[in-house]
Amino acid sequence: MINIIVNTREGEERALAAGEGLSLMEAIRDEGIDELLALCGGCCSCATCHVKIDPAFASLLPPLSEDENDLLDSSEHRDETSRLSCQLPLTRELEGLRVAIAPED
Amino acid sequence: MESAVKIQEYDDPSYDPFSSDEINFGDTLDPYPEIARWRAQAPVLEGDYRPRMGLQSAMYPDRKMFTVVGSDEILQVLTDTDRFSNAGYKFNIGATFGQGSISTMDNPEHGRWRKIFQKIFLPQYVKTWGDSIVDPVVHSLMDEFVSRGHADLIEEFTILYPFEVIYRQLDLPESDVRTFQRLAIGQTDYMNSGKALEASKKLGEYFVALVEERRKKPGDDLVSLLANTEVDGDYLPELVLISFLRQLMNAAGDTTYRGTSVLLAALLENPEQLEAIRADRNLIPLAIEEALRWDGPVAVQLRMAREDVLLGGVEIPGGSLLDVVAGAANRDPAIFTDPDKFDIFRERKAHFSFSRGPHICVGQHLARVEMTRALHAVLDNLPNLRFDPDKPRPEIRGSMMRVPKHIHVRFGESAGLLKGQMQ
Repeated sequence: MINIIVNTREGEERALAAGEGLSLMEAIRDEGIDELLALCGGCCSCATCHVKIDPAFASLLPPLSEDENDLLDSSEHRDETSRLSCQLPLTRELEGLRVAIAPED
Repeated sequence: MESAVKIQEYDDPSYDPFSSDEINFGDTLDPYPEIARWRAQAPVLEGDYRPRMGLQSAMYPDRKMFTVVGSDEILQVLTDTDRFSNAGYKFNIGATFGQGSISTMDNPEHGRWRKIFQKIFLPQYVKTWGDSIVDPVVHSLMDEFVSRGHADLIEEFTILYPFEVIYRQLDLPESDVRTFQRLAIGQTDYMNSGKALEASKKLGEYFVALVEERRKKPGDDLVSLLANTEVDGDYLPELVLISFLRQLMNAAGDTTYRGTSVLLAALLENPEQLEAIRADRNLIPLAIEEALRWDGPVAVQLRMAREDVLLGGVEIPGGSLLDVVAGAANRDPAIFTDPDKFDIFRERKAHFSFSRGPHICVGQHLARVEMTRALHAVLDNLPNLRFDPDKPRPEIRGSMMRVPKHIHVRFGESAGLLKGQMQ
C-alpha cells in the first residue's frame, strides 16, 4: 500500500493508503472525498479531478500529455503544480505523496 | 458563402418533422412522481422506460430491457465500461447520425476520435464563440420583440438561437438553412423511421459535398476546421466526420433549446430567484446548474450489458439494453435535499444531466456559454419580466426529452408599477 496525504478544500488533512496501480483519482475517490468529482470516471475527458502536487514529488510523475495539458488550461486555478489525478498511476516511488484538491472552477 | 453544394428536400415536402416530438419523446407533464415510485420499489426494474411512460417501445432487436433508477446503479452503468457498453446506440443514433457517431463507440476507439472533438469544445475555446457568435445571434433575435412588451420566449427565442449558433459555426448558406433544419430534426423521428433514414441520407450527401468544398476553399468555420483536421497524417475518417456533423443539430441545438427553455420557465415560476440573479449576476452559473439538475433536457440514456451482470440485485443477461434514467438520480432525495424544489441556492452537487463517464457531454461547456449569454440578454433587455396574465403558464412536458412549448411573457413597466407611480 502507498500512503498519501490529501488536503481538502475545507482545509482538512486526510491520510489514506491505496494499492499500487490505482490512479491517484481512484485512491482519493475511494476514500470518500467527494470534493473530487471525477465526472468522466478517469479517461482524461473532463477536468474535475484537478489536484495540486507537492513540488517535491514532481519529478516522480509521468509527463503531461497534450490532452491533459489542454484540459488543465480550462481551469482558472491552474498553476505549475497542477495535474489531473486520473492520469497519475500510484507507484512505490510516490510513497508519502502530498496532494491538495484544487479549488472548484 | 456562395456554394455549389445542393441540399435536397424530403421527397414528400409536406412532411412536418417538427410534429413528431410527442410521439418520439412523450408529453408527460411530470414524470418524476412515477420515477420516485419505481425507485422506492427497486433500483433496477425489468422492462424498458418508454412503455412505462405510455410511449410505444423503441424498435430494437429482440433482447431484454431494463430501467435503471437507483443513483448508485446509474453511476455504475455510466462509468463501469468493462461491463457496460454504448453499443445500444448503434440501433438508433447509429442508424441515422451514422455508425461513426462517437456516442455509439466504446474506448479505446471512442477516445481516439473524442479527443479531437473535445479539444475544439474546451472552455478556453468555446468562450470566444460567446462574443463572436452567441451574442450577435441572441441580440438579433431579441431585437425583433424587445420593443413590443410581450413575447413567446420559446417561439421567438429559445427554439431559434442554438440552431442559429450552429448555422453560423458551420457557415451555412442562408438559403440552405430551412431545409437543413427540417432534415436535421427529422433524423430523430424514430417512430417514422423511413423519414429519419431519408433525412440522414440527404443530410449526409450535403455534408460530404460541403466537406469537399471546404477542403478546397477553407474558411474559419467548424466544417472547414474538422474537414482539414488530420490524425496521424490522414483526414478524419469520413464516417466519423459526417456522423459528427449530422449529430450536431441534435446534440448541440435541440438540447440547448430545451435546457434554456426549462431555465427560463423555472426562473419565471420562482420570481424571487430571478430577482436575486438580477441583483447578482454571479448567481447565473448556479441557476444554470440547478435548471439542468431540476429538469435536464435528456432524461434517459441508453447502455448495453457487455456480459451477464448483477446490478442492484437483478440478473441482467449480456446483450440486454438498459434505460439509464438520469432524471431519477437528479431527483434522488438521498443526494439532493427536497429534490423536486427548484432552488438555485441549494448545496452544490454534481448532477447527471451531461451524463457521467467517458461519454460525458463533449459540448457541455458550449451549452453553458450559450445559456449564460441567453440569460444575460434576458436580464439586460427584458426588465420586469413576468408571465403574461392573459396566457397559459408554461408546461414542461416530455418523458424522454423535456421542454415547455410556450413561455408567454410580458416585460417593461407593469400596470401595477405605473399605478404606484401615479399615486
